[in-house]
Amino acid sequence: MPSSLSRRDFLKVGSAALGAMVLGEFIPPAVAQAARANGLLDATGSGYVPGMCEMCVWRCGLLARVADGHVVKLEGNPEHPHSNGKLCPRGQSGLLTTYDPDRLLTPLIRVGKRGQGLFRKASWEEALDLVAQKMLDIKQKYGPEAMIFSSTHNLSQVQFENLLNAFGSPNYGTQRSLCFNAMIVANLVTYGMEEPARKYEDLKYIILTGRNLMEAISTSETSALSQALDRGVKVVYLDPRFTKTAAKATEWLAIRPGTDLAFHLALINVLITEGLYNRLHVLNNTSGFDRLAASIGQYTPDWASGITGIPAETIQRIGREFASAGPYALAHNGWRTSNFINSFQTERAIAILNALVGNWGVAMFPSAGEESGTLGAPPQPPYPRISAQRLDGVPWKYPFVPLKIGVFQELREAALSGTPYQAHGWFIARQNPAMSLPDRGRTLEAFGKMDFITTVDILMNDTAWFSDVVLPEASYLERYDPLNIVGDKAFLRQPVIEAQGQARSALWIYKELGTRLGLGEYFQYRDEEDYLNQQLAPLGVSLVQVRQQGYVKLPGERVEFPEAAWNTPSSKIELYSSTLEQGGFSALPQWEEPPTPPAGQFYLLTGKVAQSTQFGSQNNRLLHKYSDEPRLWMNVRAAKNLGLSSNDKVEVASTAGKIHIKLDATQAIRPDCVYLTPGYGHLSKGLTTAYGVGASDSDLHLTFTDPISGGQALSQTFVTVKKI
Amino acid sequence: MPEIKHKAFLFDATRCIDCRACMVACSVENKIPMNKTRIWVAGIGLKGEFPNLERDTMVYHCMHCNEPDCLSACPVGAYSKRADGPVLYDSKKCIGCRYCMNACPFGVPHFDWDNGLVDGAFIDKCTLCTQRIDIGLEPACVATCPSGALMFGEREDLLSYAHDRLAAQPARYVNHVYGETENGGASYFILSHVPFKDLGLPELPSSPVKDVSEKIMRFTLPSAVGLGVVLTGLAAGVHVINQKKAAAKMVEAAGSPTEEEK
Repeated sequence: MPSSLSRRDFLKVGSAALGAMVLGEFIPPAVAQAARANGLLDATGSGYVPGMCEMCVWRCGLLARVADGHVVKLEGNPEHPHSNGKLCPRGQSGLLTTYDPDRLLTPLIRVGKRGQGLFRKASWEEALDLVAQKMLDIKQKYGPEAMIFSSTHNLSQVQFENLLNAFGSPNYGTQRSLCFNAMIVANLVTYGMEEPARKYEDLKYIILTGRNLMEAISTSETSALSQALDRGVKVVYLDPRFTKTAAKATEWLAIRPGTDLAFHLALINVLITEGLYNRLHVLNNTSGFDRLAASIGQYTPDWASGITGIPAETIQRIGREFASAGPYALAHNGWRTSNFINSFQTERAIAILNALVGNWGVAMFPSAGEESGTLGAPPQPPYPRISAQRLDGVPWKYPFVPLKIGVFQELREAALSGTPYQAHGWFIARQNPAMSLPDRGRTLEAFGKMDFITTVDILMNDTAWFSDVVLPEASYLERYDPLNIVGDKAFLRQPVIEAQGQARSALWIYKELGTRLGLGEYFQYRDEEDYLNQQLAPLGVSLVQVRQQGYVKLPGERVEFPEAAWNTPSSKIELYSSTLEQGGFSALPQWEEPPTPPAGQFYLLTGKVAQSTQFGSQNNRLLHKYSDEPRLWMNVRAAKNLGLSSNDKVEVASTAGKIHIKLDATQAIRPDCVYLTPGYGHLSKGLTTAYGVGASDSDLHLTFTDPISGGQALSQTFVTVKKI
Repeated sequence: MPEIKHKAFLFDATRCIDCRACMVACSVENKIPMNKTRIWVAGIGLKGEFPNLERDTMVYHCMHCNEPDCLSACPVGAYSKRADGPVLYDSKKCIGCRYCMNACPFGVPHFDWDNGLVDGAFIDKCTLCTQRIDIGLEPACVATCPSGALMFGEREDLLSYAHDRLAAQPARYVNHVYGETENGGASYFILSHVPFKDLGLPELPSSPVKDVSEKIMRFTLPSAVGLGVVLTGLAAGVHVINQKKAAAKMVEAAGSPTEEEK
């Protein structure tokens, strides 16, 4: 009978099934096998595997406790200087980002309309072939510059940049202009470096300008500030909100938004007019002091008092205290400094204030950076020459902005306006512009101008929701990334568990896509382990050794803080910036009056909480559990005037859009401001925990770009609030 | 009182930044269900009027008393005090009478109506992470605290460290180590810049409440066991009703997190 199996056939099928079962049951998966071989896991598959956190960009070292093939607990790695054995709440909850039930497990191809959320599962072959085909079509029709590439702050970014450079597009979007452009560019023109390193150990006095370190946690720096406070270091904290840092600071000043510049100009005035600055340091290490001194006379504490709302005596006292604590005094340059157009000059004033107390080599140091000079790299042919202008205006409109940083909101504007040319495709990796860019309506409109959008992420984030192809990335506990140098060591992110579903590493995805784009020669590594072995080759160390320890010590004497080398035209700290002058901007910080809300409107402030990171962590159920409900903060008096009280549902409106949210009538904010925690108000229904929670300030934010640093001015949006 | 040699915590309220890393670490380490927590925050909040404000935070969990009231109130011996400090609870012995909840002056034991009868785990509380301290690790909450507000060590070492701090910085702290004598002494010490009652901590005599309760208990033990049986019956009834309610609520709120889950 043709349909029946002979006994012989039956035996064959039976042994094949048995064979499959044996393979499935007794051969341990590759990750566990390797970890066992390294002595990290015991016979039962339990033990600790070193890795690196990715719940924010601070990159703490971690030790993952593994039991029976599962991550059961994460600990800070005591050997990593960013964690020192600690993890913040986000780091502690990281295993639920990896085990998020909403994880993307296969490539997806859109079948419905964009934003409808209808996708079908696809194989990697099909998805990558489709992405490559669409990208090649766009390249052929409109040139490589018609593809936008955007990604931010991850260890595989070097290969992301490799992909876009090999493809030949100049259009690179990072999110940095929404964050720290003002600080970076001010430091570049003043110190000739992006961000000098800081040391807290010897400090006596710290001024934090909105640097909310107790909520925007950078584990080691937050610990250092906490220890400084414990030692009795005086910490002055400027913020229109009573944050958790304000609660711990020695002195909190509820400064009027947009006037940090006036405050710091007045401090400079006190130091110079009262002769309290460090003369020797100014003479030897700075340039342009005389011109600074000649310009600063007008900015008296009395003058600043009227602008900032801080009494003149307080400003004068803080100026004197700061100077007398010098050189053990630090004016912190902040991090997210995208507040007002004048934030750039605020950052310049802060940089100058530090130079005046001569804290170089005491509180501030050259940053050792993360250069991978001592490490090897896969060989690469030269990149194609790019002749097209960048859509974001760097450098032709924004000459001071580094190419690697860019002006993201202007890139979006150009994608919308089609000038100087129209972009047609957008390749996005681990980034969520639908939440991060100001004026979300315009971002969604820009998506509409694209023929093709691809997003790489571990979750169906809001941008993926509007994409044509979604590629599932392995989480930070499931993949390798290129090595990360911190101090005298190169740290490793390695898989702690097998990647779930079909998720793959960025290194693999970029190589596979690159190969399909005909750019295989730019990706000369077999796989992730081969990539790392090529990095390690000059050190004569194998990956197996590094996996065990989680890091490799770099050869030679690496000093924590290298010798001072101010890469400025004068090779000194430039109080007066000839570079700015040549660009047609003010060479000295001058007061720029920021816009103020019309009657009946409020400044819309943004900020951070310790239980979430930007726009990517709200779906983590542990963080969701321990987060406060996102509500709109409004001063109780202001609320009373509007007939509002806590938990009233309100409509918040700007000229960009409106949102509905619950009110928190609180004492902890100035009466002229309201505040909203960012990262809520998700559009993607693929985020089942976060969807439906809170509202997004990106629906309200207007787009304002600082002509010097390219920074977005997030606090220049004013809103009305009414009961609904 | 003779010095007791065992492990203890020290919490410095002046250093806590309310980041909640301890709560998350505890939840993961001890596999706490999503709607529960073993660490919570009491006495938290804002004091004063803008711009003269203060915000205090208190990390609150089992005090691991030297002479635990929960233990002496328990009619079936479900509680024990380990020689090295931890006050432990054995769900296998528990009959769900909730005497411990009433006895604990700190309000620590919480009753779990949903899982109690099913799993027999009526009460959930801090165990001082015995699974960690037994292998030389710090409790999960202490190990991860980024601000250094939580410490762990030998009780006498922590006490002398706390007193050194009080002596060195008299203006910074209320001059008392909470938990040193309260309720006969505990293994969770608290240093604070504000009165302890502002942190939600009860003012207690140095003699344990159990001295009183044990006298009563001697007479009530047999009847308590009987009452426990009655309560169990009642609880079972309530549980069935609650489960039906919860099921209805889940259908209603499908997809969106309930307040409880938060």
